[in-house]
Amino acid sequence: MLPSNRAAFAATVAAVLLSVAAPVTAQSKPDGPRVRLTFDKHPSIHIGNVLTVDVRVKAQTDWRDFPAEPATIPKDVFDLHRARLGLEGTLLTRFDYQIEREFHDTTQPWRDLYVDARVVRNLKIQGGHFKIPFGLDQLTSGMDLDFNYRSLAGTYLAPGRDLGLMAHGKLFNDVVKYQAGVFRQGGANVRASERTETQSARTVAGRLVVRPWNGSRAFRSLRSFAAGIAFTDGLLPEGPNSLRGKTVPGDAFFDRFYVKGRRQRVGAEFQWRPGPMSVQGELMRARDQRQDQGLDNENLPDVVAHGWYLVSTWLVTGERKKDTITPARPFLKGGIGAVELAGRVERLGSGSHGTAVEPFPSPRAPGILLRTDSVWTAGVNWYVNEFIKLQANLIREQREAGDVVIPGQATRWSRTLGVQFGL
Amino acid sequence: MRSRHVRYAIVLVAAWLCLPATPVSAQSSDAPTTPDTLLDGSTLSDVWVHINARDWEELHTHYLEGTYYPVDFEWRGIRVRNSGIRVRGNTSRNDHKPSFRIDFNRYVTGQDFFGVNALVLNSSWHDASMLHDRLSMLLFRRMGIPAPRQAHVRLYVGANREFAGVYAVSEEVNKPFLDATFGSHDGYLYEYHRQDGDHYGFEYHGPDLGWYIPRFGPKTHESDSVANLYTPIRALVEAINDAPKSELEDKLTGYFNVNIYITEIAVQNFLAQTDGLLGDFGMNNCYLYRFARTRLSQLIPWDQDASFSSMDMPPWHNMGANVLASKIWDEPKYRAAYLKKLLEIADAAGPPAGAAGVDGWLRQEAAREYEQIRDAVHADPLTPYSSDEFEQAVAFIDQFARERADIVRQYVARVAPEMFTANRR
Repeated sequence: MLPSNRAAFAATVAAVLLSVAAPVTAQSKPDGPRVRLTFDKHPSIHIGNVLTVDVRVKAQTDWRDFPAEPATIPKDVFDLHRARLGLEGTLLTRFDYQIEREFHDTTQPWRDLYVDARVVRNLKIQGGHFKIPFGLDQLTSGMDLDFNYRSLAGTYLAPGRDLGLMAHGKLFNDVVKYQAGVFRQGGANVRASERTETQSARTVAGRLVVRPWNGSRAFRSLRSFAAGIAFTDGLLPEGPNSLRGKTVPGDAFFDRFYVKGRRQRVGAEFQWRPGPMSVQGELMRARDQRQDQGLDNENLPDVVAHGWYLVSTWLVTGERKKDTITPARPFLKGGIGAVELAGRVERLGSGSHGTAVEPFPSPRAPGILLRTDSVWTAGVNWYVNEFIKLQANLIREQREAGDVVIPGQATRWSRTLGVQFGL
Repeated sequence: MRSRHVRYAIVLVAAWLCLPATPVSAQSSDAPTTPDTLLDGSTLSDVWVHINARDWEELHTHYLEGTYYPVDFEWRGIRVRNSGIRVRGNTSRNDHKPSFRIDFNRYVTGQDFFGVNALVLNSSWHDASMLHDRLSMLLFRRMGIPAPRQAHVRLYVGANREFAGVYAVSEEVNKPFLDATFGSHDGYLYEYHRQDGDHYGFEYHGPDLGWYIPRFGPKTHESDSVANLYTPIRALVEAINDAPKSELEDKLTGYFNVNIYITEIAVQNFLAQTDGLLGDFGMNNCYLYRFARTRLSQLIPWDQDASFSSMDMPPWHNMGANVLASKIWDEPKYRAAYLKKLLEIADAAGPPAGAAGVDGWLRQEAAREYEQIRDAVHADPLTPYSSDEFEQAVAFIDQFARERADIVRQYVARVAPEMFTANRR
């Protein structure tokens, strides 16, 4: 057996053992600082009230059946989607921290790397590398997604992670949740040319989510309803750095345009989880300015990218819909686990602001041809137990350019099956 | 009275209708409807490349890359939008006054400029006179050999229409060129890429088709199989190598027109070209076109900057360094045909034999082109040559045009006096 195979085998055995293990607690000497090693959902070390360290493992492998895309490299059938190891916990009861590394990504391996300090009851200050507060789908943990892949808008229009400082908290008995921060650049979900651009510029971002019926006794079914708005505003480095957009299989879909000026995003979101069901939706719009980018150095109309999605889910086995689903009756422990049906309709598009100018496919064209990708996804999620989740998705895509279906891309079907292990 | 008023009114209305018609028709008669006006060399045209200032800077900074930048190409008020520009050239690539390729359908599929889908703007980096290439192509065409059309232009760039120097504008050897020249582009066109240290001259290098891949870059049928693309070239080379020199024409029938090849190498050797079909470092600066559904191929000349290299270069320069040319030179009947062609070229380009004081075609054409570009070249802010160097280079061409024909005739008379005598009769 090859060393890598041995390692994979050992990891699999360990994962299976961990997934069926009963909670275990180890305790150190009774009269010193109380050190406890627990093994509930994940291994944890507690050193009195000084420090807690939770070890987190996130792994996902996908089987994919994507249609052949002309002029692109065929995709691997199997994809190690996620292979992360992380530490998180609390220091001195006032500081939360998280460290997470993606071993599958060599270009941007560090995911979360931050400290979150409780300043006063309704105010926390978070500093480090973490997600810019924009986009509900983007801010949802990869292990808690309802589908194998995030929505296209959540993936490509939301900025993702960056180095920054953010104030956040909840007000009025958690009716209002706010986040406001300043970040070094514009996030990781941008073209590589922008990430490596030395003319870095700060981005500010804010998000406000309201749960008007939180804790309400009169409208119990509406308690989980939340609606919010968000924005980002930052300076763009000059160059061919317009926002990227890709199809579900990951092929470039947006053309690349020269930009200069501000990048501004606005978004609106809602989420409602009555019992085992959920409805969630988002609307996003991003504008990239093109100052002095014309062939005669004139200003060009902004590049506008927009996207939306609407998701509905139903836990057939009756569990309450939450961020992380724990089956009431795990598989092989008297039940079948939890089964969830999910559907999503979404659209991602890019064009230029205003329609007066004839569009051309050139990186400095004043008018940009509107390109859209409309996607339907149907999925079944099987939560085997609290550690393992299987997700099967059937995806239908239709791409259009200038309101005309791109030849050969009228209807494209993809199938994916993902296996997640979370600790 | 009333009818007279009506007649006046009709006349006035008719006159009013005619008024705008006059300038419009005048304008349309001036307006070019084909690129001939740009490429026929009758005038020194102005070309305006609209390019973002940052792209113009990047183009120079990264001149070794083949990156395209978007431009609008404007000539005589006709603006071809969303074209592409990139730096071109091999040994002449530079960041001071680079040569460019304008691609009209880079961003808009099928877009062209009166049927031409790309133009080359040559900075004549290695040619102080800026006339070598244009005069050479004209002589090829005068001798019946298909060659790209060329002219000179003043290039203006950017929003402020800054003068970027004098350039030679040339059509490309591509599908529109093939259509205009041969009536079809269905055949196989290859750009020949000389490999360092190759000194290639049709030698057979065995059955491996891979040998031909880096040397013959397909410009049509690019996605055809290697076998489809290169088996016929290998067969052509095999035929050239296998053909006995005495039966060259018969054995190459269907592969290659020996008489056309003789004309091509004769023109180049008349013009003292050192980097062409019989170049000092092997074959170079040419395209190979194989006609559709046949095995017949023809060479098309390209980039003749290295012509006019010396006044007294023997007109059989490097004939022995090429398999086909050496067979021609070694076989009396083909040698005779070659020498005869040299004399024809001398008559076509130079003054008649012994006619002192009479200007030949080449001298007249060189003088015309010089007059056309002189002031612009002197004002060229980016030329790597001084005004004196330009004038000296043009003076050499003038001398070449006056004397080369007689020099070639003397060379021919020396090796084949009987033919020279016969030719004179």
